[in-house]
Amino acid sequence: MSGRRGGNRIRGPQSALTDFLAANNISAAQIRDDYERRRSQVDPQATAGAAEARAEAAASAASPTVPDPEEEAEARTKKRKRSEKDAIDKIKKDKASKKTPKKKKKKDDSDDDVDAYDVGKDMYRKARPNPGQFEHCEICSKRFTVTPYSKEGPDGGLLCTPCGKELVKEMKQEKKAASKPVGRKRRKVESDRLDGIATGGAKSLLQLCIEKIAAHHEDVEEFGDVPQPVLERLSEIFSKKRVMKPKALKLFLRGDLEDMVVHDSAYLEAEDYHEMFAVIPKMKRLVLGNACQLKDGGIDYMLERCKDMRYLQLYAANLVTDAMWHRLFRELGPKLEVLKLKWLDAAFEDVVVQDMVRCCPNLNCVKFKLCRKLGEDAVAALADLPNLQHLSLQIGREVPTTVLCDLISTRGLQLRTLSLEKFIDADDSVLEAIHTNCRHLQKLRFSENDTATDAAYTALFTDWPNPPLHFIDVNSNRDIDNNNPDGPEEAIGLASSGFRAMMAHSGAALKHLDIASCRHIELGAFMDVFNGEQSYPALEHINISFCNRVDTSVVAGIFKSCPALKKLVAFGCFNVQDVVVPRNIALIGVPRAQDAIEQYGVGIDVEEAIGRMVEVGA
Amino acid sequence: MASETEYVTLVSSDGFSFVVLRSAAIKSPAIMRMLDPAYGFAESKTNTCHFENINGLVLEKVCEYFYYYQKHKGAKDVTDMDFPIELSLELVMAADYLDSRDTHQAGFIYI
Repeated sequence: MSGRRGGNRIRGPQSALTDFLAANNISAAQIRDDYERRRSQVDPQATAGAAEARAEAAASAASPTVPDPEEEAEARTKKRKRSEKDAIDKIKKDKASKKTPKKKKKKDDSDDDVDAYDVGKDMYRKARPNPGQFEHCEICSKRFTVTPYSKEGPDGGLLCTPCGKELVKEMKQEKKAASKPVGRKRRKVESDRLDGIATGGAKSLLQLCIEKIAAHHEDVEEFGDVPQPVLERLSEIFSKKRVMKPKALKLFLRGDLEDMVVHDSAYLEAEDYHEMFAVIPKMKRLVLGNACQLKDGGIDYMLERCKDMRYLQLYAANLVTDAMWHRLFRELGPKLEVLKLKWLDAAFEDVVVQDMVRCCPNLNCVKFKLCRKLGEDAVAALADLPNLQHLSLQIGREVPTTVLCDLISTRGLQLRTLSLEKFIDADDSVLEAIHTNCRHLQKLRFSENDTATDAAYTALFTDWPNPPLHFIDVNSNRDIDNNNPDGPEEAIGLASSGFRAMMAHSGAALKHLDIASCRHIELGAFMDVFNGEQSYPALEHINISFCNRVDTSVVAGIFKSCPALKKLVAFGCFNVQDVVVPRNIALIGVPRAQDAIEQYGVGIDVEEAIGRMVEVGA
Repeated sequence: MASETEYVTLVSSDGFSFVVLRSAAIKSPAIMRMLDPAYGFAESKTNTCHFENINGLVLEKVCEYFYYYQKHKGAKDVTDMDFPIELSLELVMAADYLDSRDTHQAGFIYI
């Protein structure tokens, strides 16, 4: 590597010695640096007693510890041999490294100059120390042994092993960040909006933080005093991302908590449940989704540790046996206030529910959904719960209408929530029972039924002394007959007059309306209800999917009549087209939207949006 | 009594003060109420809020967020603001303190 290869560059004179030293990989700069470092280390002592040091050095030189001249000669030959071998290796390596820049030159001649300059610069740089030598790390300045794998630092010096590893890690991370796809991210933003996480503009700071923490959950050691609602939100995100594993669960266990919410506990094993109950003895509320590994032993330990349990929500806890359910209700007894169970196949029979009603008189909220062994007797037993306020049922077996009516007439007066899903045989008498007995209902769900008639719905909502409802879900109440899609003359399911009566009764306070698949509601009824002058101040969420009479003007009317609207779902509404969505409203599912199945209004208010729609229509 | 100024001062627990636009700072309902003369808090008279539970490092990020939020108001496809991971837990506490609406919105829905 001669300095004279610098080509046509002009440089100061270079002596033969410099060339020779460079060729033998001896760097003047390094020698000078080492010398200066040694001097600076010695300096403080040297100034104190330089003479003394010199005397000492002289003494040691004359001391008898000097090795035998023969031995010394042998060592020297060994050393020379080794250095010769090293030099040969070095030359081989140099040759290899010279080859690569030549190839580069062929590709691009214009960087000729730069290459030549680099070679020159390389020469003046400190030579890389040979493996086995000691060197000071460029970042932490610790002394370390050089290996062939030592990494080069940002300023050209070598790094010790820990610093080197750090550097590689950082570089990898940078690469990862650079290669993220853009398209997917934008879709995520849209999806977040429709979930109500980001409603135009930036996300909330809390949301940003929570997402950041969830993304880096592996690096978090503990959450500290994060407030309970935030902790629950984090737990939700962990569940959604399927990272709620035993290790992550530990972050959520804190002795002072009273709630434990894990919506996806499929990864948790028997001992994790034990730990959960051991760490949080004051637990009052327990929510476990997919609790498929929760066994009798876990429940047993819970009864032993958490004496104050009030709120129990389990989903798919199929390994808990009937005997254990009996024990659970007996031991928790009057403390239990809320019980929500879903998807129990193997156990939980009518007898258990009867036992529960006897043991837990303070239950005010009961939800049984898809518990396969429950039937008529369980529903009948619920009528004896004196404090029942919230009731949700979806029973797979047939339940006679009379049993349902009895339940409503005994408990109806104090019910706040009544949710009856998929009671396909429930007829007009059930609606009548609601009308005569319920006086404090706020939330009503009566869905997937093809027996009750429009007249019964009309009667329910006409002159009903119950205050306006906040939540109505009457989806899929329609006649099913493939030969007669328009239904019989006397409409079955929620149709025009029932819909009018419903909105007249509850429109003032209604927040959530789901009338999906109520396909017998005529266009005229929609036009009357959402006429733009009648206002529904609280209505935020509407689902009109598969109401096939709905057209563009109905959607415009909804925008005008519902000032608080956030989300309108309209799958399968084929007469809706060319909608201009006003600000802060999400319109989902319109099949004939030109560009997107999800539309989100930006920057235009209702008046302007309707103005534009009229223009398009004309 | 001082009138509503254009800028307000937010002071952290370790004594750093940040002068920010009032319109940006009232993104936080807590700060908005503190500064609203209708409530008559001392903060509304001096136009200065002291936060004993938020340190300078975190409050700086919070102020940055206020401006970030204001800049992107009503915009589509906003890129998320970046902040160091080690701050996120403290920031979560500060955000919860300054704006608790979001968690209530995402809170548990009964039956």
